[in-house]
Amino acid sequence: MKSSWRRRLLMSASLMLAVGGLAGCSGGADGNKNTEGAAADEPTPISIWASLNTNVSITLKNMSEITAIKEWEKKTNIKTEFQHPAVGAETEQFNVMLASNKLPDVMFVYGDYSKLFTDGSIIKLNDLIDQYAPNLKKILDENPEVAKQLKADNGDIYAIPHLRLGKYKTFGGMFIRQDWLDELKLPQPETIAEWETVLKAFKENKGVTAPLLYGAPPKLTTMGPAAANFLEAYGITNTIFLKDGMVAFGPVEPEFKEFLTTFHRWYQEGLIDPDFATNDQKTFDAKILSGQAGAFFTYIGGGIGRYLPALQEKEPEANLTAVQFPVVNKGDEPMFTGRSWEWSGAGATITKSNKHPEETVKALDYFFSEEGHMLKNFGVEGVTYTMKDGYPTYTDEILKNPDGLSVVQAMAKHFIANYPFVGEDDDRYNEQYYQFQQQKDAVTLFSKYSDNTLKVGLPPVSLTTEESSEYSKIMSDITTYRDEMFIKFVIGAEPLENFDKFTAQINKFNVKRAIEIQQAAVDRYNAR
Amino acid sequence: MALPVVLYFLVFKYLPMYGAVIAFKEYTVGKGIWGSEWVGLQHFQDFFQSYYFWRVLKNTLILSFYQLLFGFPAPILLALLLNELRHEIFKRTVQTVSYIPHFISLVVICGMVVDFSSRDGLFNSIITFFGGESSALLSEPGNFRTIYTASSIWQELGFSTIIYLAALSGINPELYDASKVDGASRIRRVWHITLPGIIPMIVILLILRIGGLMEIGFEKVILLYNPNVYDTADVISTFVYRKGISESAEFSYTTAVGLFQSLVNFILLIGANRLSKAVSDNKLF
Repeated sequence: MKSSWRRRLLMSASLMLAVGGLAGCSGGADGNKNTEGAAADEPTPISIWASLNTNVSITLKNMSEITAIKEWEKKTNIKTEFQHPAVGAETEQFNVMLASNKLPDVMFVYGDYSKLFTDGSIIKLNDLIDQYAPNLKKILDENPEVAKQLKADNGDIYAIPHLRLGKYKTFGGMFIRQDWLDELKLPQPETIAEWETVLKAFKENKGVTAPLLYGAPPKLTTMGPAAANFLEAYGITNTIFLKDGMVAFGPVEPEFKEFLTTFHRWYQEGLIDPDFATNDQKTFDAKILSGQAGAFFTYIGGGIGRYLPALQEKEPEANLTAVQFPVVNKGDEPMFTGRSWEWSGAGATITKSNKHPEETVKALDYFFSEEGHMLKNFGVEGVTYTMKDGYPTYTDEILKNPDGLSVVQAMAKHFIANYPFVGEDDDRYNEQYYQFQQQKDAVTLFSKYSDNTLKVGLPPVSLTTEESSEYSKIMSDITTYRDEMFIKFVIGAEPLENFDKFTAQINKFNVKRAIEIQQAAVDRYNAR
Repeated sequence: MALPVVLYFLVFKYLPMYGAVIAFKEYTVGKGIWGSEWVGLQHFQDFFQSYYFWRVLKNTLILSFYQLLFGFPAPILLALLLNELRHEIFKRTVQTVSYIPHFISLVVICGMVVDFSSRDGLFNSIITFFGGESSALLSEPGNFRTIYTASSIWQELGFSTIIYLAALSGINPELYDASKVDGASRIRRVWHITLPGIIPMIVILLILRIGGLMEIGFEKVILLYNPNVYDTADVISTFVYRKGISESAEFSYTTAVGLFQSLVNFILLIGANRLSKAVSDNKLF
C-alpha cells in the first residue's frame, strides 16, 4: 500500500504524544529537595522566566545575550536560560504557566507573592537569605523600613527584590509643548482651570486635534496608574488609596464626579484627544510626532528620550518640558506623584521546581555586592563605563552608540539599569541616563512633592489567600465596570446624572468588602 | 486501523475533559486538581448572578443569531445566482474573487477590518466622500455587530458557496428540460427544482451551524473589540478569556462558565436535530 508508511508514522506519532502527555502530567512535583547539585566547576543551570523589555528586544532575542548577564554567569558559575513570554501576552502566559504547573527555576514577577506561596508555586526565602545572601541581608538589616516592605505580615520573604534606595523615585509625568506655550505667551499650567485655558489656546490658536493626548501605555484604553494625573488633582485616585490614613476607593468618592464633569466638558470642547479610548502605542506616538498633541503623560527616560529628538528632527524649534502634577486650587501641593516605594514590588522568586535554590540565591545575591551592583547599573568597566574621579561615567558605547542605538537601547543591550531586575538602582545611572536638559529638569520637578505620596499611597501590603481571591473577584468586576463607565461618562454616552447609579452599582459589587480587606492588610502592615 | 483516530480523540478530546472537574472545585495550583476543595455549583451560581451574565449571554446569542440570519442564507443565494450564469469566464471570476478571503488568516482579516474602520481608514473615506462625518467606527458599540457580521460574510461567502454548487451539479438536468417543455419561467425553475434539490444539504449544514451557535468566533471578537464596545461585543468566550487568563486568574470560575456554554450548545444541537427530524425527515444522527 502506497501510503502505509504514512499511517505507521502517524500512529507512532500519536503514541508518542499519548506517552508524552502522560509523562508530562506526572512531572513537576519533585518539591524543593536539594539534590546533589552540580559538580564544583560545572555551572549550575538556572531557568528564569521574565518578560523581555522592549528596549532589549530591539537588539537581542534573549536576556542571556546581555553583556552583564554573561559576566554574571562567569562570576557566579551559573548557566542561565531565560524564558520570555510573547510581548503583550505576559499575563496570559504567566497564568497559563502557573495553571499547567510546569515552572522554571526562577520567576521574575510583580505583585501577589503570598498567593503564589500558599498555592505552593514558590518557596519562602528567609533561611536561604540568612545563609546564602549576605549582601542582601546587610541591606535589609541596615534599612528596616525596606525590610518591612519586603516582608509579608508574618515575616516571610518570597522575593529577591529590585530596590530603589536612591533619591529618584518618580519617573514619569505630564509633558507639554513648551514652544507653543512660549509662542502663546502662557505660563505653565498649575491648576485644572489653568490647564483648561492652555488646552483651549492650543486648540484655537494652534489648531491641534488632541490638545491633551490622554491615556498611557501600555493600557491606553483605561486609566492606567500613569494616566490618572488629572483625576489625582482632585485628591483621589482611580483605585484603592489612603484617605486620611483610612483605605478608600476613589471612583465612589464625590470628587470623582467633579473630575468626570470637567473631563466630559473638555471632551465635548475637543480639548481631549477624541480617540483617547482606542489609541494604541503606534497612534499615540504618531500624534506626538506629528504635532497633533499639546500635552501628554510619558516617562522621562524612555518617553522623552525618544520623542524629543524625533520631534525636533521634523520641527527644530519644538520643545517638550515637564509640568508639575496638576492640582485644583492654586497653591495646593500635589499628593499623587507616581512615586515608587523603595521596594518596587518586583522581584525574583524561587519556584518549588528549583533543584538548586542555594546556588540560585547566591547567584542573585551577587547583584547586591559592590561588584555586582556596578555590573548591573554600569556594565563592564572599560567597555560601557570608566571611572573618572570615582564616578562611573558611561562610555560612547552607551551615550553615542556607534550603531545608532539610543541611550536607553544601548544600556539595555549591555546591562540592566533602566527596568526592574534583581538588585539596587543607582542614582548615578539616572544622572547620566537623562541626557537632555529637559529630562534633568523633569526629574527635579516631579520629585519635588514625591514624599506626599507616602501619605495617600497604599504601602506594599500582603493579603492572605482567601482575602486575595475574594478581593480579586470583587475588583475584577469593579475595574471592568469602572473603566467602561469612565469612557461612557467622558464621551457622554452615559449622562452624568447617572453618577449615583454608577456608585450604587459599585457598592452592589461589594466594594465595602474590598475596602475592608485592604484596611485589614494596611493595619497588619503598620503593625509589622 | 482505527487506533490513531481513537488515540487522537482520547488524547486531545477526552483526556482534557478531566480538567473540567475544576468547575466544581476551588482550584489552587499547589493542591492540584484532585487536592482542591469541592464547592459544588457555587461558580455556576456566581456566574448566573453576575452583573455581566445577561450581557455576555445576550451578546453571544445576538451575534450568533445575526451570523445565522444573514450569514447562512448568503452563500445559498450566491450559489443560486452563480448557477443561473451562462458566461463561464465571468462565473469563474466571480467565484474566485469571492472565495479568496477565506484563505487569508483571520488575524490579517481582522487587522484589515480594524485599519479600514479607523478614523482615516477606507470606510471613513467613503463616508466622508458622501458627505458623512468620520469617526472611529470600531469604538462605537452600535457598529460592532454590523462590522462583525458583514466581515464574516465577506470572508466566508465564496467558500461556503462551493458546497452548494456541488449539490446543485447533482440535480438531474432532465428535470429542467421537462420544466422548459411545460413552459416554466426561470424563477419557477429555481423555486421548484433547484431549491428543493439542495434542501437536504441546507438542513444538514443548518443543524451543524446551530450546534456551534454559542461558540461564536472567539478569536475574531478578541481581535476586533476594545473596552468601548464591550456593551455589544463581549461574548461568553471573551469573558472567559479575560477572567481566566488575561486580567485575572479565576480558573475554576471560568471553567464553569465555559462548561455552561458547552451545555447550551449541546441542548441546541440535539434540539435542532429533533426539530428537523420532525418537520422534514432530514437529520444528522
